[in-house]
Amino acid sequence: MIQRNQFELRKFVVPEFICGYGALQLAGRYARNFGMKQVLLVTDPGIRAAGWANAVGESLTEARIPFTVLDAVSPSPRSGQVMAGVEVYRSEECNGIVAVGGGSPMDCAKGIGIVSSNMQDILTFEGVDRVPVPAPPLICIPTTAGSSADVSQFAVIKDETEKRKIVIASKALIPDLSLVDPEPLTTMSRELTMNTGMDALSHAVEAYVSSGSSPMTDLHALEAIRLIHSALPAVIEDPKNLELRFSTLLASLHAGLAFSNASVGVAHAMAHSLEGIYDLPHGRCNALLLEHVIAANYEAAPDRYDRIGAIFDRGKGEQATLAGEIAAFRRSIGVAGTLATAGVLEDAIPALARRAYADPCLVTNPRRLACEDIERIYEHAF
Amino acid sequence: MSMHSEPPDDMDTLRKKIIGLGETSLHKSYYPELQSRLAELERFRALLDQTHDAIFLIHAETGRLADVNASAGAYLGYSKAELLAIPFASLFSPQQSARFVDLARKSDHPSGFRQTCTASLLSREGTEIPVEITIRSVTFDGEPYIVAIARDITDRILAEKELKIKESALESSINGILIADLTGTIIYANPGFASIFGYERRETIAERNIATFFVDPVFGGEITGHILDNDAIMKETIGLRNDGSPFHIQVSGSVVQNDAGQPLCIMLIVVDITERILTDQMKRETYAQLEKNIEQFAILGDHIRNPLQVIVGYAEMIDDPLARKILDQSDRIDEIVTQLDQGWMESANVRRFLRRRDSGATPSAGRFVSLSTRKEDEF
Repeated sequence: MIQRNQFELRKFVVPEFICGYGALQLAGRYARNFGMKQVLLVTDPGIRAAGWANAVGESLTEARIPFTVLDAVSPSPRSGQVMAGVEVYRSEECNGIVAVGGGSPMDCAKGIGIVSSNMQDILTFEGVDRVPVPAPPLICIPTTAGSSADVSQFAVIKDETEKRKIVIASKALIPDLSLVDPEPLTTMSRELTMNTGMDALSHAVEAYVSSGSSPMTDLHALEAIRLIHSALPAVIEDPKNLELRFSTLLASLHAGLAFSNASVGVAHAMAHSLEGIYDLPHGRCNALLLEHVIAANYEAAPDRYDRIGAIFDRGKGEQATLAGEIAAFRRSIGVAGTLATAGVLEDAIPALARRAYADPCLVTNPRRLACEDIERIYEHAF
Repeated sequence: MSMHSEPPDDMDTLRKKIIGLGETSLHKSYYPELQSRLAELERFRALLDQTHDAIFLIHAETGRLADVNASAGAYLGYSKAELLAIPFASLFSPQQSARFVDLARKSDHPSGFRQTCTASLLSREGTEIPVEITIRSVTFDGEPYIVAIARDITDRILAEKELKIKESALESSINGILIADLTGTIIYANPGFASIFGYERRETIAERNIATFFVDPVFGGEITGHILDNDAIMKETIGLRNDGSPFHIQVSGSVVQNDAGQPLCIMLIVVDITERILTDQMKRETYAQLEKNIEQFAILGDHIRNPLQVIVGYAEMIDDPLARKILDQSDRIDEIVTQLDQGWMESANVRRFLRRRDSGATPSAGRFVSLSTRKEDEF
């Protein structure tokens, strides 16, 4: 069990963010304020088609800031996409980045930023605090409510050669500004809403039980869980409801502030491992793993898990376990199945466990786990 | 907070500002300022890279290069990265290297230490590049550094060499050479000039006016203006030695101009022609005497022929075998006189030839005749 000392040193880093309807339109003003003369606008084809990249572009144009659009970003951004983005950034003589989209364009934008200022391959930054030179200014406009890449110190990039996901953790990756606008969320698909919602829940739960948690991260983590619990099922049924969308966006923001400072745990380490091989959506992997991770970790932080449980089992009595509640919750919103039904092969579990065991997210897991323990969790999730 | 005086419309603006949504409600960011400073540094860097001098920044404690400008790489044929891996002293020839090891690594140079010397940098190909190198000690962030600025002096050395040759030529010329400013005040006189005019020390000539070296004050006074008006002059005149004695000189002068054609100074070349003048005079006297002698020969011939004609007349009237002998002897005397006449004619031709030669005229092919042909023409 994790023993916490309330006097133990903690640091809480928060980027500047502006929440509310129309926040997206401030992109131009803030880009100008950051001294951006030529912007690289990083997005993905879906967001561009939905018109949100154009909306940001209009704001930049209004501020008389020229920009170049880079939309060649896939889900789980590849190292090659980052390096290609850096070429565009340099050739267009950009001096600032605006990212519009979910976790993938934002992580890609973070990668482009640090590579452009450090002149190193993106894969060399893998690990914690390995970014010596700060990146150019980065403004993020999230269009999903889950990754929290707009406020976090993490970027996850797929190493195409090794077929694995690398985690880069550095305070230098925290964007300079997040424009948290609910409107772009209205064009999210049902599946994307489910997966990203479960991602936010995983962030909040893992941050709350993290060995790096603090009173400040606890506040944000619990609020995130409360908001997800109340708003996520409702927004799936009413996707155009701006208030509900905003609640999920705030939930993601709270979760991001919590996990960016407290970090996450083994569920994320295992999800990264899965995504490296199987190209599965990050939120879905977390969703399929979270209940099993809670079961494995519960004894290490029972009070904390119980407080989360208290949010989920209101009116359902004390018999239900949190793991069960979480499982029921994800199924209730439509995230069904297991790793097996997601296409994961049982033979791959030892290799998946080894990779997860090397992931930096494991460092703050409330329970010290051996590689074999991770294998057991995969097996339960199978 | 005192906001009661704000009108209602402005209250909304103020509220926006207070909650951080004003146009200028900015979170502190050093980035724009850093960008500006960076741009300034890049501009300065571009200036340094554009200069022809090679600039080296050296860690004083290690003697290794910390930074170089683009010209340093261009001069030496190395990339910047390659240069930064080479100790500064290794950029010099082995004979000079040790000197720069000491100079570049002294971290205890006094503040503002500065030294200038010449040395040879070694290029990648091994070519020695002569440079004038200025070394200064500086301190950045408390760390001692040496800034070395090397200027390629290859052209300067060549120019100095050429100048030295020209100077030696001037100094060693047996002709007198004077350089004066545009007012005629002497700037330079070579040893030849001092020797011709009888000066032991050249210093006594400097700053005098050209006019003081000529007997004719009019010529002396006008020579500077004449050269400036006509660009050049060549004249024989009488010079005035240091001891006041006159002597014959030939003066040729010209204006020295800059690249733009503007006059810088005037230069005079003085040749002592006393000997030539005296020789010419002697020749003239000799020719006059020769002419007189030839005329005497002609008169003498006539004087001999007249009584000889009388003797021949008498002899022809005498019927005596001796008369024949007298006539034979008279013919012989006439032949001798004729030979004397011929000698006179030849002497006259030689005299004319010598005069023409001494006067510098070359007889043209059409006018040149042989002495024998001339002799026949004369008869």
